[in-house]
Amino acid sequence: MKGEAMRNDDREITLGEYLAARGVSRRAFLKFACSLASLMALPPSAGVAMAEALAKAKRPSVLWFPFQECTGCTESITRSHEPTIESMIFDMISLDYQETLMAAAGHQSEAAREQAMKDNYGKYLLLIDGSVATGLEGAYSCIGGQTNLSWLTEAAKGAAAIIAIGSCASYGGIPKANPNPTGARAVSDIVKDKPIVNIPGCPPIPAVLTGVLAHFLTFGSLPELDPLGRPKAFYGETIHDRCYRRPFYDQGRFAKTFDDEGARNGWCLYELGCKGPVTYNACATIKWNAGTSFPIQSGHGCLGCSEPDFWDKGSFYRPLSVAHWGDKATLGGAAAVGVALGAAAALAARRRQDKIVKGD
Amino acid sequence: MSDLRDTAYATAILHEVADLLAKLAADGSAGAIDLRAMPLGPADRARLKEVLAQGAVKVSVDAGGPSEIFETVYPGVWWTCHRNDAGETISEFIEVTDCPQFLKSQPDDIRAGASGLRRLLE
Repeated sequence: MKGEAMRNDDREITLGEYLAARGVSRRAFLKFACSLASLMALPPSAGVAMAEALAKAKRPSVLWFPFQECTGCTESITRSHEPTIESMIFDMISLDYQETLMAAAGHQSEAAREQAMKDNYGKYLLLIDGSVATGLEGAYSCIGGQTNLSWLTEAAKGAAAIIAIGSCASYGGIPKANPNPTGARAVSDIVKDKPIVNIPGCPPIPAVLTGVLAHFLTFGSLPELDPLGRPKAFYGETIHDRCYRRPFYDQGRFAKTFDDEGARNGWCLYELGCKGPVTYNACATIKWNAGTSFPIQSGHGCLGCSEPDFWDKGSFYRPLSVAHWGDKATLGGAAAVGVALGAAAALAARRRQDKIVKGD
Repeated sequence: MSDLRDTAYATAILHEVADLLAKLAADGSAGAIDLRAMPLGPADRARLKEVLAQGAVKVSVDAGGPSEIFETVYPGVWWTCHRNDAGETISEFIEVTDCPQFLKSQPDDIRAGASGLRRLLE
């Protein structure tokens, strides 16, 4: 955590003034804003307007609580050795509590959390990663002798909005996997009276958090959400719809194994269990590791990690047509574009899986 | 020439660039295409680079990390690539304009520069 970023007087100045005092030129900020606009699926021309609005915005107080989680979400968002667009979130906000990152520990950190909640009551953003244990009244996961459940309930009262980071906070995630021994629940299962943005993924794409925060600062509101509470700008289309291998699906060219000619030629991975047709996320365009690649580009099908219950839906390597994913309407829609070829592929995959199951 | 079956997205983008350029020529209105919003494969990129090759102007800018901007062989069509300090691409556009906004001096920077220069001379 940047110690300077925690000072209250810093919060009184605008983001533009804050950055200018640190030697960031308006041209550099324009570049940042244009890149943000790109992330948020806004037209390139919106970058100039965003730069103007962001420069005038005040930096909000943010409290970030980690619950039942593996810290993968925190790693995803913070793990960079050089300044990146993702790391700019630490300039856009005043991160007043994040126990993994902050220098304070024990009673000092708890005092910082309580003070920040008191000073910014009704205005702070609450970020949660990890699911909420509800079994035994929440006793499965505690911090400082208090349950995650009680923390969430208390902190939600004073929050302007809540952002659930990762599939665990969004849906319950791996801790909720059958038989769910801790009674893990999503944030939205507990809090019913506050606006909640879900940013699922295991881990989520870090730039999505930056985009949501930038939207909040630029427009003073949360971005438009889909029925699962995900920002449409990032989760509005399936991996399949945005996949560079999609033309191969439409042409009926599929890899049958991970080392056949189709795999070497980069053909569609549908028959190898890719969940791209029913998975809504931005991996195919934003990609990972500074835009280097994403699972499908690296030769492996999408696991569907931004969809509810992906962990309990059977093998990652069974084609959608024989797995427990999606419904007939969704799969039908996915196949509709490459109608005959896609349907034939689904049928072939189903037959091949039947043979495997029967041991033929 | 790349396999056209593998460059469907590049072909679509090139048609869009042609439309934007015709509009720029007709009424001076600018436009842009966000390349990172497109599901481009390696063959698509190669095809775009092949057609929109570097023209007479190439500019390097150091602001929040390096940016490389060049005008393509088609005047009015610019290729802009923004990177961070680690050299990672953070956004990439094809801009159809007489001059990309990013290359122009920004008013706030001009005002800050004017004040700084005045202070230096006092």
